[in-house]
Amino acid sequence: MPTFMYVFRGGGYSTPGALSPAELQQHLAKWTAWTEELLAAGKRPQGLPLEYPPTGRTVRGRERIVTDGPYAESKDLISGTLTIEAASLDEAAALARGCPILELDGSVEVRPVLVPG
Amino acid sequence: MDEAREHVEDLFRRESARLVAALVRALGPANLALAEDVVHDALVTAMHAWRHEVPRDPAAWILQVARRRAIDVLRRDRRLDDEVPEASVDGALSAEADAENQLSMMFAICDDALSPETHVSLILRLLCGFSTAEIARAFLVDAGTIDRRLHRGRARLQALGALADVRDAVAVRARQPSIEHALYLLFNEGYDAGGALCADALRLAELLLGASAVEPSTVHALAALFCFSAARLPARVDGDGALLLLEEQDRRRWDGALVERGVAHLGGAAAGDHWTRWHLEAAIAFEHVRAPSLAETRWTRIVEYYDALLAHAPGPVIAMNRALAVCEARGVEEGRAALDALANDARLLRYSLFWAARADLERRAGRPDDARALWERALSLARTDAERGAYQRRLRE
Repeated sequence: MPTFMYVFRGGGYSTPGALSPAELQQHLAKWTAWTEELLAAGKRPQGLPLEYPPTGRTVRGRERIVTDGPYAESKDLISGTLTIEAASLDEAAALARGCPILELDGSVEVRPVLVPG
Repeated sequence: MDEAREHVEDLFRRESARLVAALVRALGPANLALAEDVVHDALVTAMHAWRHEVPRDPAAWILQVARRRAIDVLRRDRRLDDEVPEASVDGALSAEADAENQLSMMFAICDDALSPETHVSLILRLLCGFSTAEIARAFLVDAGTIDRRLHRGRARLQALGALADVRDAVAVRARQPSIEHALYLLFNEGYDAGGALCADALRLAELLLGASAVEPSTVHALAALFCFSAARLPARVDGDGALLLLEEQDRRRWDGALVERGVAHLGGAAAGDHWTRWHLEAAIAFEHVRAPSLAETRWTRIVEYYDALLAHAPGPVIAMNRALAVCEARGVEEGRAALDALANDARLLRYSLFWAARADLERRAGRPDDARALWERALSLARTDAERGAYQRRLRE
């Protein structure tokens, strides 16, 4: 079965103060439900959420210049990844439509994973 | 109420309240905004980190993140005027300090310089973890009003050097009545708006009982009242969410566990040396939950309680409820006369339930046309969909 990577961007990065504790929890419940759906459908989801608030370093060029932090707009900042198994890119993209990040100013980039051999 | 499930459903706002109280206790009320930021940040972090897997002990996880953030602020941000030792943060965040943190916050909030409405708004924000918009919805008032109350309340809190000392018996007793009053308002408003806040009012009343300097009998009476009233919530609306009259409610749906909890509180309430308003209201609520049917309710006794209550705390809504009890105890005509006698009260004239009560008595007296006009009036004043649904149903019948 082909593997696909979801690259999540944003999703609560741009307006973190806008949600109340109850709303944050309700949003989280949608993630849990979506992940469980993928599991139940045999898509073998494996997620890697990234630290919040977004921190990190970027290393660039032959000079290996290290700068602090990712520099994208908050809605474009990578907030995590998830790999799933799906029959095709179409199916993987269709599954991504159920992702709760889309309700919170975020996006999902769907990329086929290259498997050697 | 299923307590385990309830707790998980409310995890974020309960933890938010717990941690804000702890951090404000450690960092001082001047740093209220900072404490709220740190806690909110921890919750947003949890929302990101738990996307695909919730940890085994979610509360402990949030606490650790909030702790780390708070310590970071202490070390780097220098937003604090005075140095706060890290050990005091750890002390305040410990499980043993939890009840006292929240009690200190509750006593600090119910400051005499603030109005009871501001007390309630602050309690909902800081001790229940609700946002301004959620408080406004639960209270059926606009968000701007809540915002102004919170602004005033925060300014007052931030000016305090420290939260209240809940072991200072003199100070605690002096402030106890305004806390009880705030919780009573919280429960009543919550009840009218559908009951979402009633569990919080009961939780905070039981928290208050944990303060050793508090005079417990009046708080027990208040908690008993909350239990008996909340026990009736599940039967209060029909399948479409429209309010049901007491006579229409399926008593089997009343929450027996809550009634028992209320009876236990009544025991504690009886230990006091005098009856308060809460005692009388709890006694009335108890008469309702112990009666097997509307007809078998001890209405004469309820009228007596209302008479005593009116002597204690005169008010139009209590007078209205007394008139309805009179109607059951002594007949519709006498009840109508008692209700009509209140028809000049400005507050009742704006109160939909007053018009609904009058309409119902006209219906029972066999004057459907008069009843109709009164239901229309009630409908025009109704504040919730549950109420509107009930009046619309009456108008269709």
